[in-house]
Amino acid sequence: MSLTIGVDVGGTFTDVELCESGRPPENYKTPSTPEDPSVGFMEGLRLAAQARGLEPRELVQRIDRIVHGTTVTTNAVLTRTGARVGLLTTYGVRDALEMRRGIREEQYNNRQTNVEPLVPRSLRIGIRERIDRLGRESAPLQEEDVLLALEHFEREDVQAVAVCFLNSWANSAHEGAAKKLVQDRLPGRYVSVSSKVLPAIRFYDRLSTTVLSAYVGPILDHYLDRLVGRLEEAGFAGTLLIMQSSGGVVSPETARSRAALTLLSGPAAGPASGLAAVAPHGLRDCITVDMGGTSFDAALVTDGAAALRTEADIDRLRIALPTLDIATIGAGGGSVAWLDPGGLLRMGPKSAGARPGPVCYGFGGREPTCTDADLILGLLSAEFFAGGSMELDLEGARKAVADTIAGPLGLAVEEAAAGMYRVINSNMALGVRQVSVQRGVDPRNHSLVIAGGAGPLHACAIMEELEIPHGVVPRNASTFCASGMLLTDLEHDFVVSYPARLGELEWPHLREVVGQMEESGRSQLLEEGVPAERIEIQLAFDMRYVRQYHEVHVGVDRGDLDLDGLARIADAFHRRHAVLYGYQLAEEDTALEVINVRLRAVGRLDRTDHPAADRQAASHKTTAKGQRKVFSPELRSWDLVPVFDLDRLAPGDSVPGPALAEGRHTTVWITAAFEGRVDAARSLLLTRKGSGGPTR
Amino acid sequence: MSATTPDPILTSVLASAFKAITEEMSNAMSRTTRSPILCEAKDFVTGLYDAEGRMLEQTENLPILSFSLSPVCKHLCERFRGDINEGDVFFHNDVFTFGNQNNDVAAFKPIFHEGDLVAWAAVKGHQADIGGAVAGGYNPGATEVWQEALRIPAIKVIDRGRLRQDVWDLIFANIRLDIVQEDMRAEIGACTVGERRMVALLERHGREVFDLQREELFSATERMMRAEIKSIPDGVYRGEGRIHYDGRHPGSLHVIRVEITVDGDHIRFDYGGTDEQTSGFVNGTYASSASATVLTFLQMVNPDIPHNEGMVRPVTIEIPEGTVLNASYPKATTFGNHLCPPNADAIMRALVSAIPDRVTAGWNHLLCGLSTGLDPRTGDKFVDIGFMGLKGGSGALPDVDGYDHIGMIDASGGVLDQDYEMFEQQTPHTLVEHELLEDSAGAGRQRGGLGVRTRFVLGGEDLQVVTFGDGDVEPAFGLMGGTPGTLNFIELHLPGGEVRKLTSKDLLKGVPAGTMWVQEAGGGGGWGDPRERPAELVATEVENGVVSREQARSAYGVAIDPATGKLDPGETRRLREGS
Repeated sequence: MSLTIGVDVGGTFTDVELCESGRPPENYKTPSTPEDPSVGFMEGLRLAAQARGLEPRELVQRIDRIVHGTTVTTNAVLTRTGARVGLLTTYGVRDALEMRRGIREEQYNNRQTNVEPLVPRSLRIGIRERIDRLGRESAPLQEEDVLLALEHFEREDVQAVAVCFLNSWANSAHEGAAKKLVQDRLPGRYVSVSSKVLPAIRFYDRLSTTVLSAYVGPILDHYLDRLVGRLEEAGFAGTLLIMQSSGGVVSPETARSRAALTLLSGPAAGPASGLAAVAPHGLRDCITVDMGGTSFDAALVTDGAAALRTEADIDRLRIALPTLDIATIGAGGGSVAWLDPGGLLRMGPKSAGARPGPVCYGFGGREPTCTDADLILGLLSAEFFAGGSMELDLEGARKAVADTIAGPLGLAVEEAAAGMYRVINSNMALGVRQVSVQRGVDPRNHSLVIAGGAGPLHACAIMEELEIPHGVVPRNASTFCASGMLLTDLEHDFVVSYPARLGELEWPHLREVVGQMEESGRSQLLEEGVPAERIEIQLAFDMRYVRQYHEVHVGVDRGDLDLDGLARIADAFHRRHAVLYGYQLAEEDTALEVINVRLRAVGRLDRTDHPAADRQAASHKTTAKGQRKVFSPELRSWDLVPVFDLDRLAPGDSVPGPALAEGRHTTVWITAAFEGRVDAARSLLLTRKGSGGPTR
Repeated sequence: MSATTPDPILTSVLASAFKAITEEMSNAMSRTTRSPILCEAKDFVTGLYDAEGRMLEQTENLPILSFSLSPVCKHLCERFRGDINEGDVFFHNDVFTFGNQNNDVAAFKPIFHEGDLVAWAAVKGHQADIGGAVAGGYNPGATEVWQEALRIPAIKVIDRGRLRQDVWDLIFANIRLDIVQEDMRAEIGACTVGERRMVALLERHGREVFDLQREELFSATERMMRAEIKSIPDGVYRGEGRIHYDGRHPGSLHVIRVEITVDGDHIRFDYGGTDEQTSGFVNGTYASSASATVLTFLQMVNPDIPHNEGMVRPVTIEIPEGTVLNASYPKATTFGNHLCPPNADAIMRALVSAIPDRVTAGWNHLLCGLSTGLDPRTGDKFVDIGFMGLKGGSGALPDVDGYDHIGMIDASGGVLDQDYEMFEQQTPHTLVEHELLEDSAGAGRQRGGLGVRTRFVLGGEDLQVVTFGDGDVEPAFGLMGGTPGTLNFIELHLPGGEVRKLTSKDLLKGVPAGTMWVQEAGGGGGWGDPRERPAELVATEVENGVVSREQARSAYGVAIDPATGKLDPGETRRLREGS
């Protein structure tokens, strides 16, 4: 019997998903407790125990594994409440962190100011030392410079030290020596060393990532101490794993040592959850979208895996660690509608958030939001919102839309609301395009998995906009990430910069380098208790045409690391380049360069299987619980539409649009062009009428 | 909704689609090009135009390129009318048929829907070489265009999908570096990316809806721009900007004079009083000068205005031919884009009295150093444009400090430093220092942006150094009691100990390896009385080493306790009240 739990601590809610073999999955929601998130965490477990009539201890003792996604590090950066960090860097370049290569993102906005650096200039100390471009020492490390800096850090109450020297990707000796001095002179301080955090070429990227790690390291340390303490107190004897931004999980020890790994982990379990929703139908490709109160996350899953990128930003600060390629845009239920000075309707990115929230919540919000439009259109019900636990103010919403949007545009209120609905859908469609079309992938060949409290109301419209014929609203749409956490694997990512022309690679040496990375990956996973037969090794090159500046990420077969495999590697690169950028140079005989070699060691975790969906399940009509008037944003007319109880729909039930399927945590708007059918996992499939099943 | 009535919602949807397409094209360019000026500094623009060449949307990484494509596209439509086919690709750089700078070579690809020409995708980027007498294109000795560059009038290089190899070879036989060929292929690739997406968009919405909504988009943008102009008090405003040294006559001065007339919802920029063209290469073209005007003005209005035909409808720009901003055929003009900073100065000085809350103090003017040579490790030629060294500070506003190390106003933070480690991989040079420059910012209640100091050791063989720019004679101006920023300079410290200070338009051959490059880019101008700046803030900047104790005392009236290094409130009060 195995019992696993996913705990997703978000800004507003803490979601808990519980999976035990032989039982259907359960989920719980409780408000988050930002001052100490471990309180909300334990409350979630208490709720789960209570539902089974158990004391928390009785449940916790039996848990085998907890997978936890936390935003403590993300919030520390966004609210600038991280540690006081001192930086040791090469003499002469201490301002690289603050200058961010001299970018101002909004070129026409003279009021945009630079980002406050995470380390003030007075704590950024240049050390005399130098490694040259080939990794040779050209000036020795001046230890007295380091010692003076450390005395200064001590006086200034520095809690964490970041070390990043020029060209340490090629030779880390100076960083290692400096780290020893820090541990010796400032024992107990958190230390983040660039050649350990990210041993890859590109100074600014490595520096920023290393400093971010130092900035959030002590916060994560402290939080995990408290959490582990509470869990142990409650009798927990299983394994705790932490979500990382790459979509995999790591042990708390690894997370502590490279704390930046968690910075973009918030939405990272979404793709796994989305894949699980389409997998019973034999699909390995999907696009997942998660629409909450303030933001919309979109990710692409191709052949069973979500795409990764190695350049991401948090609050305009660079993180160059492998991160799931998730497009986050400011579109959610709380997105505010406004008219620009030319009279065009815009939605967001400003959000009314949870407080004051949409006008219809009655918490004092005055600006019309997406949720207000949904209510005016009749897609949401004033009486049955959140299962009837909260009454919505329809008149207030109508008045706000009339005053700010409908009046100035000379439209009827419901016409304006329909416009708001369409504009936000087109914003969300742009987010989906970012992760599909911009990556050379046609979204029409993918199923769309739509989650989040607000998402399913917009599902059919987004599918319409993108011409996607099939969609899935998962059973657990409102605790999407928590359930995805139970489907993740242990992952360790390695990178080595290895700049060389493809044709001139020293294959034996390269195989040795790859072998070393593989060895580290395997031993880490074995230590974490993964049996050898469940370890997988994935290899990739960052490649480019000679003298290009940016690379294309190309998966490489282990067996191709020799002269014979060269042509296959080159061919894969040419094809990828043409798809992404509109051309390739296979015939021009242009040389190819390898810049980085990446290796990922995956430890497959066993998981509780979901019941297989029976695609042939006889579909049958089901009866509506009632009907209500809806102003269809597609047809622009008021019609009576049947309303079904989403939570009571059974496998095989079929719901032709136009219809609403209303549940406790989410509502699905099935437009006239679509029909819904419930699969064996109780997810709602959306298909264009007469188009057959969700196959490729 | 039928196709015959405009739908404001659909207009919004299409406007965001156009924006997304040009951004995708821009991404393709920066990810695939080789020359650092394209892949790192992003000196290129991507755009979509309608069948008549009118701008639908653009992504200009460098604002100075913002209005350089649409006039060429209109010219192309005219020149090739009846001979534009699916699968064609055109090139163009000619400054006397609406080009802006010789090095900026554009690729145009027509987009067809159901057999009809409906739109264009275009990319224009600054190429690392364009033939002419000097590698890289900056020839301070040039007096005519042929000494600067190969002229490419509108020509067809791909005909219905078939490369015209002879035409291609003729062009690239006249350009020194092979990467230019590769970077032009990247431009075509990016156009293809744009074409794919536009074709899909047209299939979705149809031609009629597209045409109708496009007009609506232009009108909406025009209304937005007119509303912005209306918020400026009517009047006639005059300002001057100064160009120092034409590259041939040391000490020479050329003045840009603008007369701006705001009349209701229309604005007119008249450069009639501007000095005449120079005999050298310090001359603008209409396209480069008008772009400078528009980008400067755009920074004073709502930054969210879409960039399309509608935006420029209420704006008139008169630049008489034969002036330094619009040279006549066949004058040399390569320096033209760098007349943007003094042109911006003239506009800012003119409008500061009308809209004081929106006009910044002076920005640091560009002074750029470019090195070329042979890299002995690879045997290849290299060109390095010293982006990291050239980026000074911007001017302050009444409520915001200037932006540190942002660089010239024509890029406004769009040109990035080379990454230090990539710099050492791509050139034989070794970086020694690149840091913010203490006391470089103009002092003020709001200070200017800081400049930087850059030092590196030159490596390689056959080294040649070119400089171009300004800002070494006249600093970025302060406003309302704010003080000016510091000056630019570039010095070469030769291995024997000799120090050679370069002029702002220089060419030096045979530079020995081991020479130390020393460069300062100055700060921006300050705004308001420095003594009104919060003393605590000044003390923090002293602690951070960006303001010296001396400047804190003399300019800001702030005293630092020598024992603690912290603010001395008593002495500060005496200093500030005593003045």
